[in-house]
Amino acid sequence: MENIGHGGKEIVERVLPKDAALKRLNELKAAKAKVLDVRLQIATEVIDIAYGFFSPLEGFMTKADVEGVCNNMTLADGKTVWSIPIVFDISDDELKKSGIKQYDEILLTYTGNPFAIFDVTDIFTLDKKEIAMKVYGTTEDKHPGVKRTYQYQDKFLGGKITLINPPKINEPFTRFWLTPKQMREKFKEKGWEMIINHQTRNVPHTGHEWLMKGAYLGAYGSMMVDKPRGGILVNAIIGSKRDGDYIDEAIILCQEAQGKYGYFREDTFLTTCSLWDMRYAGPREAVFHACLRTNLGCTHHMFGRDHAGVGSYYDPYDAHRIFNTLPKGSLNITPIFNLDWWFCPVCDEVTYMGLCGHKDKKASFSGTMIRSIIQDGVKPPRRIFRPEVFDLIMECAEKYGFGDAFVTEDYLKRRNPVFTIEPL
Amino acid sequence: MAEETYPINLWINEERLEKLQQAGLAGMCKEVLAGLKVLAVPNTAEQRDTILKIFPMAKFDTATTKSIELLPKAVKDKIFDLVVKKKSLSVMDEFIKTQTK
Ligand SMILES: [Zn+2]
Repeated sequence: MENIGHGGKEIVERVLPKDAALKRLNELKAAKAKVLDVRLQIATEVIDIAYGFFSPLEGFMTKADVEGVCNNMTLADGKTVWSIPIVFDISDDELKKSGIKQYDEILLTYTGNPFAIFDVTDIFTLDKKEIAMKVYGTTEDKHPGVKRTYQYQDKFLGGKITLINPPKINEPFTRFWLTPKQMREKFKEKGWEMIINHQTRNVPHTGHEWLMKGAYLGAYGSMMVDKPRGGILVNAIIGSKRDGDYIDEAIILCQEAQGKYGYFREDTFLTTCSLWDMRYAGPREAVFHACLRTNLGCTHHMFGRDHAGVGSYYDPYDAHRIFNTLPKGSLNITPIFNLDWWFCPVCDEVTYMGLCGHKDKKASFSGTMIRSIIQDGVKPPRRIFRPEVFDLIMECAEKYGFGDAFVTEDYLKRRNPVFTIEPL
Repeated sequence: MAEETYPINLWINEERLEKLQQAGLAGMCKEVLAGLKVLAVPNTAEQRDTILKIFPMAKFDTATTKSIELLPKAVKDKIFDLVVKKKSLSVMDEFIKTQTK
């Protein structure tokens, strides 16, 4: 068996070829199947499920799955590690109005066009507060993941998903969109045996660059250096935005620029994207990222300080410690834990907490500080921020951000969608 | 123990540097981050909280830099002009007064 994903299961694409899709669509129409139009949040996860990004999930979770996730951090089988609920919500009203019953096969549409078939095998309710506490460690709706949980409607549908109409990925994201199977093909093509994933939803500064280079050197270990046998996959998370985020276009293009301008050799560097709405679940999100990147075919995954955290809900290294609590062999990816890095004026370079002995002279910088520098109209020094990346941010602001490199209401309203579902 | 100050970092580009030099204040900026110049305007905890209330888009970076970031450029320009006018970094009380009137 090839293409083994998370949980030791083969990655299976649940996507019908066009002929079969049209036939099934006509059958559903003839049978007067119920139709639900889904919002972007759900459409995104339908795509993720169908292409195996969430393998071994084949559909939206049943109640037993959600309970397993909350109580034991596993799916309903009690073995497969899973940390974040993946659910399909529906209001009581809509459920009644549509007349959807258990074991119905329903047609999902997105922006009015046929999209996927949903085999509903479970209809249930959930205690949202309990989920919030168990997954996010808090019930405060200030936490974006908790807020999303509270915003769910009151009923949930579980069951398998089959995509009948693949998304059209729009520019500039097209070349960055690789499904798990395509990703694995690409790695084979590149001759990579070791693939280190760098999780990001940011434009890169040299602190990020340093961490990636450090991880590469560390993981490369004793492999022969006769040809590139490994590389770094920057897998940018494209999804729901928060105030202060860089616009998606800037994130993906600036990440790619690190290879394009030689800060990484192009044969050891690849930029792709995954569609995912960050939940900011800190340690639990770190585990989810590990599962997701296992499915992409990665062998290693970097976890930084306060990985996928928000505010001060998690200790900066909680997202490292959680991996020690998982049963041995439950993940097929090796975590690489990173400490802090900073600019040291004595070493005169970006360096690392575990190496530099001038801690009292360190100059810390963060993504927030870089943003503040950019907002002041100042070009940071190249040792802190690559000039090509800076120029590209400015270009993206004009081209995609309506004058701003950061998310504004205007951008959210007028931006070109990342994907569209066209008529089948 | 020195009292904590919570700086607003005014990053110095050529235009700002020129103004500082003309006022004879170029020595006030510090070099941080590989030669990048900054004028760090200190705030007390109370001033910090007031600023964060007046400008909800601003963010206090608790994790790494312990500074007040993401104030709009126009706001920072005003603070900068006050520093130049008063030839001093202790300008926050006066600045806050102009904002709360
Ligand atoms: Zn040093």
